Amino acid sequence: MELDQKATRTLNFFTAQMVTISRYGIIRLAVLLIFVLGGLYALIVQIVKGHIVTGMRDNVVWGIYIANFIFFIGISYAGALISGILHLLRVKWRTPIIRIAEIITIVSTLIGPAYILLCMGRLDRLHHLALYGRIQSPIIWDVLAISTYLIGSIIFLYLACIRDLAALRDYPFKNKWRNKIYRFLAVDFNDNTKQNRYLNRALDIMSAIIIPLAVLVHSVLAWIFGMTLRPGWHSTIFAPYFVVAAVFSGTGVLIIAMWVFRRYYKLESYITKIHFNYLGIMLMILGALYAYFTFSEYLTSWYGSETWDMEVLYKLFDPEEYWWWFFFAAIIGVVLPIIVILIPKFRTINSITAVSVIAVLALWVKRYLIIIPTLETPLLPLQDLRPEYIHYQPTMIEWLLTFSGVALFCLIFFLFSKFIPIIPIIKAEEGKNYAQLRKTVMERIIKRKLKETKMKESQKIEHL
Amino acid sequence: MNNLFKYILFGFMALIFATGDISAQGKKTTRLQVEYYKNHDKMEMLIATLIAKERRYVPLAGAMIRFYSVNDTSKALLEELVTNDEGKVVLKINDNSKIFYDPSGIMTFEVEYGGNSSYKSVQRQISVKRANLDVFFFQKDSIKSIEVNASEIGPDNLITPIQGLHVRFYIKGTFSLLDIGKEKTDQYGNARIDFPVYMPGDTAGVIKIVVKIEDDDDYGTIESRGEINWGIPVKVIKKERRGLGDTDAPLWMVYTLIILLSAVWFHYLYVIYMIIKIKLAR
Amino acid sequence: MKKRKIKQSRRKFFAKTITAAAGAIGGIGLTAHSCKSKSEEHEKVTLLSQDGKLVQVDKAAITPASPAEARKGIPGKHFVMVVDLSRCRNARKCIKACDHHHQLTPDRPYIKVLRMQDNPASSPYWMPKKCFHCDNPPCVKVCPVGATFKRTDGLVLIDNHRCIGCRFCMAACPYSARVFNWGKPKPQKTNHPYSPETSIPSQIGTVEKCDFCPDMLRQNKVPHCISACPNGALYFGDQNSDSVTNGSETVRLSTLLRDKAGYRYLEELGTQPNVYYLPPANRLFPFKDAPEGQSS
Repeated sequence: MELDQKATRTLNFFTAQMVTISRYGIIRLAVLLIFVLGGLYALIVQIVKGHIVTGMRDNVVWGIYIANFIFFIGISYAGALISGILHLLRVKWRTPIIRIAEIITIVSTLIGPAYILLCMGRLDRLHHLALYGRIQSPIIWDVLAISTYLIGSIIFLYLACIRDLAALRDYPFKNKWRNKIYRFLAVDFNDNTKQNRYLNRALDIMSAIIIPLAVLVHSVLAWIFGMTLRPGWHSTIFAPYFVVAAVFSGTGVLIIAMWVFRRYYKLESYITKIHFNYLGIMLMILGALYAYFTFSEYLTSWYGSETWDMEVLYKLFDPEEYWWWFFFAAIIGVVLPIIVILIPKFRTINSITAVSVIAVLALWVKRYLIIIPTLETPLLPLQDLRPEYIHYQPTMIEWLLTFSGVALFCLIFFLFSKFIPIIPIIKAEEGKNYAQLRKTVMERIIKRKLKETKMKESQKIEHL
Repeated sequence: MNNLFKYILFGFMALIFATGDISAQGKKTTRLQVEYYKNHDKMEMLIATLIAKERRYVPLAGAMIRFYSVNDTSKALLEELVTNDEGKVVLKINDNSKIFYDPSGIMTFEVEYGGNSSYKSVQRQISVKRANLDVFFFQKDSIKSIEVNASEIGPDNLITPIQGLHVRFYIKGTFSLLDIGKEKTDQYGNARIDFPVYMPGDTAGVIKIVVKIEDDDDYGTIESRGEINWGIPVKVIKKERRGLGDTDAPLWMVYTLIILLSAVWFHYLYVIYMIIKIKLAR
Repeated sequence: MKKRKIKQSRRKFFAKTITAAAGAIGGIGLTAHSCKSKSEEHEKVTLLSQDGKLVQVDKAAITPASPAEARKGIPGKHFVMVVDLSRCRNARKCIKACDHHHQLTPDRPYIKVLRMQDNPASSPYWMPKKCFHCDNPPCVKVCPVGATFKRTDGLVLIDNHRCIGCRFCMAACPYSARVFNWGKPKPQKTNHPYSPETSIPSQIGTVEKCDFCPDMLRQNKVPHCISACPNGALYFGDQNSDSVTNGSETVRLSTLLRDKAGYRYLEELGTQPNVYYLPPANRLFPFKDAPEGQSS
């Protein structure tokens, strides 16, 4: 495959990073592995002893596993919606960030459902879903939607990688196995007109189909809760609420990932402040939308003040129960990102990333607050003397598995980055050029404006 | 629960207050309850229930019970039977030639548990006269009624009506008998009640009527039955619906799912076809 | 006093049959021995049937329905329960009988007796609560594998050989009727193969709940809790034949519900329960709070 000079330079830049690993890289990898192994240990304990090792009991039947599940499926939106929409709109600056977004999608869509499996009491009967599946159950909708979504995301990422895979295929690696894999995956792509036409068509189809699919996946997820007769769950806006929350958190995670790769892979010339600004503004808009949904949801249930709705609300607003978590999740985690990004003075790469971290954490807490207080509020009075049946408290096992999920997410992401350049090589320069172009255009505009003002001033002087 | 059972329990109560104190040898006290029961097939039986005092009274299983027929002078062994898990044993006494009758047709039975090293022996006597109970249905205009005739079977099968006997009327339910009335027999041995209105029957509207003389001092328990289609037929819904709570999903749901999934997967297949075309277009 | 004695002895008949048999074997060595010499499979049991007939039943033949059979339900029946709140004094005998029959440990009872108070002005009362066996059951709707199902006779049962332990049914049930085997359940004794009609043995990681004792219903007997109640607060019967019984008294369901203003708990949820409640008016017992340390 023919490459121009700039693309060749990028290719060399990334292949050098792909085949080596720094000492810090090894330490980071080791830390991640320790966390993953910790999770493995917790998993074995849970399989041997049963779910008695978790904090879940007959009232709170779902715990942080389900919160993690929603969280990971939520951040998978980064790739689906963001890269899908940006691709369809032919937004030029998207190029350096879409691959990161798409990898987030796939990794989180792999890890999210794993939490559902952890939550299942009888993992050995997983095949019953295929044997006896009832399509009336939202869980079956979820199984179908998520598996379809995962396959779609993999196809989408693969299509977006074909050009790079072709370039990598022709790159002389020391290890020949790499070339072999790339050769297999590159499907003889050599950049001819016909191939480009097919590839672009396929990309357009996938980016168009992945958007409604992503919306559906998160709606179905919301319906697991919405379809029940429980206070705080049985709400019609749950589906769009979940979708908005998901895009919000997906954008946040994308910003964090950009910051991490920019820092450790030295991508300052590719991922620039413009990307952070644009995504930051997106985060701000989504945050506002999310705040609107939150406000609408709680205002409605407070105003109507049904018995059980009020019970859940009291728990959320009670300083001895969930108030501080709720304050963080629904107020700090939304208002802070909006304020920081709204005011241009505060808008820096680091500050945008920092508020993204807060937003993502807040969103995790919000998922916790959606699940636990409702389950702690059964319709019939909870008259149990066993404290663990009244209040849910995640156990060490659950935390271990949670952190190992996050670690696994980082680990798989890391491995991906060693296999495929996390910035598209072929189109990358376009984006970079665009940034420079924009810079020069802006400079020109500023110059012209300065000229105009000078002229006006001189005219004024003349006038005087 | 069976009403019969209830009467057995009343028997217990009588026994609880009748039997003596704990034995000096430390053997456990036992109690025996005997009932004469004639079912609707005119089958006569003696039902004996043996209980023993552990911490509380519990049925004694596997115990040998002896049944005798007695009169003033003789005592004939009818049968030896072993109690079941409920401490019960049942003896059929129809046409048993060993049974003695006194001049007025009364049969007297003695039932005995011999006891052993742990349980005390116990004995009961019961006397009954044989009687018949028959049920008839009458309908005159809109009035429907159930009538019962009670008659005594004397020596040489001489039949005489019984007057002043309490007869109970029931409708047979799944678990128990629904009491629909009580009446005393008149001089002809007849008792009559009105049939209750709006009573559901089975799918054909058939209702099973049970009439009973219960634990009578002279006649024991006698039961008779009849069937009549006076009930309101019950519509049994054959459940072959497709709904959220059923095995099969509503059709619109199936179609929606198929349309959605096939739309998405068709595009996936098309994209894979594009990839193949890329491969071929090198 | 008199009455209580009867009730106790009657309860013993149900609850302690096994211990009685064991005691008898110890007591009457000889007869017990002769029984034992017969092979277990061909042991005959003489039963007095509900129809007043004598029947000889092979002991091994009294096996619960197969999982496929258990899904169908008993033809022509529609079972209902009526709870007379005016008669409940939190004696908890129903819980005991249920725990015993289903071999449950006290940490996951099928029945709970809740202390209820409808509003600050009204007096509190005790409310025995089991599974409501709804006609529009939220739990059955959401089950992904059909492990919990609705039968033609109104019962909602669980096949714990099919249950995958997702607990969606527990989240969906508005009445918290379901319990989960979080750890390994206590070993349970049974001679029969598993049937959704007996729920024995329990399995780790699966859901369970009150099943209205279908093994008893098949023998035309009422569930154990009904006969265990010392105050006759629990009625059970067949809606199709319009009669319910509390063990000693049989009444017409329609008359009972009409005369005593029967209601279904949280009717507004639209779940259409098959358990009716009679309001706690004209009570048999004054309300007394549960002793300390007693959980529901």
